[in-house]
Amino acid sequence: MSAQGPAPRQGSTTVGASLACRRVSFSYSEGGASVPALRDVSFSVPAGDAMALIGASGSGKSTLLQVIRGLDEPEAGAVVLDGVEPGAAGYAERQREVGLVFQTPEVQLFAATAREDVAFGPRRLGWSEPDVADAVARAFELVGLPQAVYADRHPYSLSGGEARRLALAGALAMRPRLVLLDEPFVSLDPGSRRDLVAILERLRADGITLLLVTHDVDLAWRLCEQRLVLAEGRVAAAGLWDFAGDDARLLAANRLREPFLVELWRRLAYAPGQAPRTLEEAAKALA
Amino acid sequence: MRATIAQYYPGTSPIHRLDPRAKFVAVTAMAVALFLRDSFAGLAVFAAAAALAYGLSRVPIAWFWRAFRPLLWLVGLTFLAQLLFAPGDAFFSLGFLHLSWRGIELAAYLSLRLVVLVLIGSVLTLTTPPMALTDGLVWLGRPLRRLRVPTDELALIVTIALRFIPTLLAEFDTIMRAQRARGVDFHRGGLRQRVRNLQPVLVPLFVVSFRRADDLALAMEARCYRPGIARTRLHPLRAGWADVALLATTTVVIAAGLLL
Amino acid sequence: MGREGRAAEGPPAPLAVEASATRRGAAGARRCAKLPHGMDPSAADRSAPLIDIAGLRFRYPGAREDALADFDLQIGEGEFLVVVGANGSGKSTLARLLGGLDKPTSARHALGCGRDLLTDQGRVDVRRDVGVLFQNPDNQLVAQCVEEDIAFGLENLGWSAVDMRRRVDEMLTRFQLEDLRHREPHLLSGGQKQRTALAGVLAVPRRVLVLDEPTAMLDAVGRDDVLAAVSELHAEGLAIVLITQEMDEVVGADRVIALERGTVVFEGTAAELFADIDLVVRLRLGLPAPGALAVALGERGRLLPRLPLTIGELLEELASPP
Repeated sequence: MSAQGPAPRQGSTTVGASLACRRVSFSYSEGGASVPALRDVSFSVPAGDAMALIGASGSGKSTLLQVIRGLDEPEAGAVVLDGVEPGAAGYAERQREVGLVFQTPEVQLFAATAREDVAFGPRRLGWSEPDVADAVARAFELVGLPQAVYADRHPYSLSGGEARRLALAGALAMRPRLVLLDEPFVSLDPGSRRDLVAILERLRADGITLLLVTHDVDLAWRLCEQRLVLAEGRVAAAGLWDFAGDDARLLAANRLREPFLVELWRRLAYAPGQAPRTLEEAAKALA
Repeated sequence: MRATIAQYYPGTSPIHRLDPRAKFVAVTAMAVALFLRDSFAGLAVFAAAAALAYGLSRVPIAWFWRAFRPLLWLVGLTFLAQLLFAPGDAFFSLGFLHLSWRGIELAAYLSLRLVVLVLIGSVLTLTTPPMALTDGLVWLGRPLRRLRVPTDELALIVTIALRFIPTLLAEFDTIMRAQRARGVDFHRGGLRQRVRNLQPVLVPLFVVSFRRADDLALAMEARCYRPGIARTRLHPLRAGWADVALLATTTVVIAAGLLL
Repeated sequence: MGREGRAAEGPPAPLAVEASATRRGAAGARRCAKLPHGMDPSAADRSAPLIDIAGLRFRYPGAREDALADFDLQIGEGEFLVVVGANGSGKSTLARLLGGLDKPTSARHALGCGRDLLTDQGRVDVRRDVGVLFQNPDNQLVAQCVEEDIAFGLENLGWSAVDMRRRVDEMLTRFQLEDLRHREPHLLSGGQKQRTALAGVLAVPRRVLVLDEPTAMLDAVGRDDVLAAVSELHAEGLAIVLITQEMDEVVGADRVIALERGTVVFEGTAAELFADIDLVVRLRLGLPAPGALAVALGERGRLLPRLPLTIGELLEELASPP
């Protein structure tokens, strides 16, 4: 029971939770037939790291996030959260520490005020009101929406970028140690995109583990040291980026380009794998 | 997530190629005739005709079963009700329950009639695309236009509704999952709690739908739609000799069913 | 700095490359060449602009400010115009007005393909000539399968079944949707839905195509497909108005206008737009990655002679002596 509130977990030493998938398989039924969505998926993300999840539409990315969160149970294999196996003591609590942000998450906003919506999750976890208020305040601050301004606003009165940040606040208020995001940048204007990148960088700085589904290779390169490429439910590549090796080809197979900085480094005859992650670092290197 | 609301099974059988108007009239007439008289012989005629039509449609039995299964409880209830409560000379009684030959006869007849009814209806829905059926109904309902009933607009409403049912179901599922990820347990709690749990799902669904209605209206206008205009169809309805034959056959079947 | 979008030299940004190529040629001669599908040549008055708006004002009922104010715009045959601006700057309002879907509050004159947008009948008529593609692919598909949806506009205009069959087949081929002709909309990917919507909009022969952030909700593959299709349409002579917030859809455009709170605050080429850094910042636009990198280099003391917008230009600038 999490009635105690968001106290640090006994037994774990890190802010972020580690994640490991061991031969995870999952199928769903459609029109009477069984469609395999995930086949034998294995990979791991150390605590505090960030992994980009890349693949064509229908490759199983969204399904994988939902299986990791526990909304669906794998038919084979195991999702190991922070070293805890399914069925072992404390697994359910670990699942509650996984935040899942769906595509266009602002669709699920429903409460009368922004504060009520953000408080929804912590209240569901059974936290005391002071803990809820604290979590809500922290969440507003994390996403860059000043509580004084936004707390009493109606969610539907917010702009697209604000609404998305509010939905993210709702997930962050539950103090997740692993955050899963499904295409968080889609449909955002450039300014809101920049704001969201800053929020994710802040989460990383705080030590939270991230798994990010995105087709924006530049942002994937900037935010994540690891990548997982899925093709038809199977793992095509898992682990650190490898532009010295096959990554350019893997991306091309998914009709994606190399990140701009990687291509630049390659064409400047530098080692593409050593390309900087941000424009600032690149400017520093080239100036 | 696949929804088979309209249960259309694509095919090229003779039944598939019949005009939806003729099929609808035939099916409705037979359904009404089924209830006009109570006779096993008559029922057998209707059953044979329906089974023949189904066979000609080449739709696998499994699909009829899928359409029928949700109604199994109704058939079972009807059967039991007649079996146990029908008036007649009872050969076995227990309190207010009595078993009689008449009861058994009635139970069998009424249940079988229900099955035949569903079979007849299935022949229509399994072989007619919803769009074509809607067009057929609009054509048949044209006299209603005199009474200011907007049949063409109704047709478009039905079409659009059918088009978006799978989308809405998928969105419902996604929003439910999103709220589950925030800790809502839809399986827990008494009735009041469960109803309250639906609020975080239904409110967003409503909002999405209203926004969608706005967007869709705009997109339709941008493609030159206006209420009340005369629209042509990519697949216009074309009746042929086969449809005349269908109506003639149906008349014979109904006559036989009612007279035998 | 976040995602600044990027322009590549090769196929990945077909839109930009195509647009530049057609512009640098004899633009005038091109305009008189091929007309869009099904267009009646005698109906085209090649001397008059297709869109001619002056002094337009639009305010939503109950709003405190004008959504568009003192707005002028002229678009000629076969032109490619890109419209940028922050959210709320009036871009979507403009799309709807051009398509005859909203009534201007007032204007000195507002003509779309010869129709008067200030009159009800004019707005109804202009919807045949000006097509609009919107952002949400799902919310544009009405029918239960792809080919029925493409036919929707033609059905509204009373086309015969035979003519419709021919035109729908043309559109299916043109947008690579033949294999999907009987597919139900909810089984399509985002890119396929948007291509279907585009086919449906263009099934009615058009003279102008307005696109309101058509790729915002699509993934990389969907985006590429839609932009490639738009690029081809432009090459065939269709006038295009592309409203976008993706900076790499802007690169290479010969004519860009920027909106701020309902008025045009910039008109010029993409290069000129991005060179005005203060404007870019004020409008919360981004720079394509090469340009953003050049700006960052400038802040570190290494100034490049020109602002590069593509990786090729950046490499040239980096190679040139200081």
